[in-house]
Amino acid sequence: MDLARRCIMPDELVFMMGNFAARFPTDRRYTLNHMWLNAEGDSVRFGLSAYAIRLLREVYFLEWSVDAGAAVRQKDEIGAVESSKAVAALYAPADGTITRFNAGALADPSAINKDGYGAGWLFEMTARAADAMEPAEYLKYLETSWTKAQELLKGQMAQ
Amino acid sequence: MKKLAVIIFRSPGQDPRKHEMEENILAALASDPDVAAAMAPHLYDLREADAAVASLRSVTGPLVVLAWLYPRAIHWTLDRLGIKGQRGETQLRRDDPEDEKRKDSASAPNASARTIWSLDLRDNDDTATHVAEIQRILRDLHAVSANAGPAASVTLPSVIRMQPSGVSLSRWYPVIDFGRCNDCMECLDFCLFGVYGVDDDGHVVVESPDNCKKGCPACSRVCPQNAILFPMHRTPAIAGAPGASFDARKLDLSELFGAPAAVQLAAAERNAALAGAEKEAKPRDNLDKLMDALDDAKL
Repeated sequence: MDLARRCIMPDELVFMMGNFAARFPTDRRYTLNHMWLNAEGDSVRFGLSAYAIRLLREVYFLEWSVDAGAAVRQKDEIGAVESSKAVAALYAPADGTITRFNAGALADPSAINKDGYGAGWLFEMTARAADAMEPAEYLKYLETSWTKAQELLKGQMAQ
Repeated sequence: MKKLAVIIFRSPGQDPRKHEMEENILAALASDPDVAAAMAPHLYDLREADAAVASLRSVTGPLVVLAWLYPRAIHWTLDRLGIKGQRGETQLRRDDPEDEKRKDSASAPNASARTIWSLDLRDNDDTATHVAEIQRILRDLHAVSANAGPAASVTLPSVIRMQPSGVSLSRWYPVIDFGRCNDCMECLDFCLFGVYGVDDDGHVVVESPDNCKKGCPACSRVCPQNAILFPMHRTPAIAGAPGASFDARKLDLSELFGAPAAVQLAAAERNAALAGAEKEAKPRDNLDKLMDALDDAKL
């Protein structure tokens, strides 16, 4: 019974970006800059949310401007990502120390597109991440963020 | 016998320093027995029916063109007006490496044997530098004719009609670089205003330039070959600057990924200004359509 129910209603929330269904697993929390996080003890693993990945499309370049072990403040620029559609700087989602970058995603950023919630994770850091949102809260935030994203896209397309 | 025609296209504005430079270059060339030089109205605003265009079309032989535009924009705006030729190499500015790669594989349709050198007057504010470059081109022509018989003579009407016929309005329309265009038709699909069409040979052309919405360069951004120019756009990559990479045309999503407040503020101001301009210029599109267009754009 439980298993059947899970197959019909998987543990994820869906946000429609136009005709695209962006999926958000409910087993983790999300940040304002569109990363997901999963805490395991002191270490928190971060990756890009389906929302961020959808805006970027095929990611083919990822670089970090800080080394593992670096202490960062929230909103510090820590790296950059480039995709078929866009470029974007990446910013620290919280105060803390970055302990490890995902070497797999660094070597082959397509892992971010293939398995953004798993093998395509970005980095781990020791962080309290107190202002991370629960999935339902993140979806509400996406509704406003989506409007802003479309304005940004429209603005740059028509610039 | 004149060996080289030189046309100086005036700047679109009323900047006295620019007009002074145009006049100075013309005066410096007047004493050269091998050069036939003339002044013409702002190139980008010319219409095919203008008397100045008819005059320009009657110019034969090697041609140097000076304008306040990027050389690639000059070349393809002339091409569009039926003033065609091979792109001559200039030493004031290095050619776009992107075009260097393509030279062998892509020759523009209807390219004629004569050469047109396009010089951007913004490259140097010194009259003598531009005049020296024209004299270098002339020396090269002499060297070629010494080896291969007499150089083609030049015809140039004594006067090129200065004012376009009718009221002179500043125009806004895309110019296709046919050295790059591969007829993928993305622009045709993307433009909502029917600017593009297909000619009898199946090539995409700017069919209705005056349908274009002033200030909108969106088709240039979706073009996979970077072949659509808006010569008067303030972004160099869109205006035809050499060396401008495809990356410069990518969307910058940093703001969405948490870029600091100053950037957000600047972007917000820019978007507000844009929204105001859009209200006048065109109806708001369905935003979903935009996302679909992005889907299809394959930038």
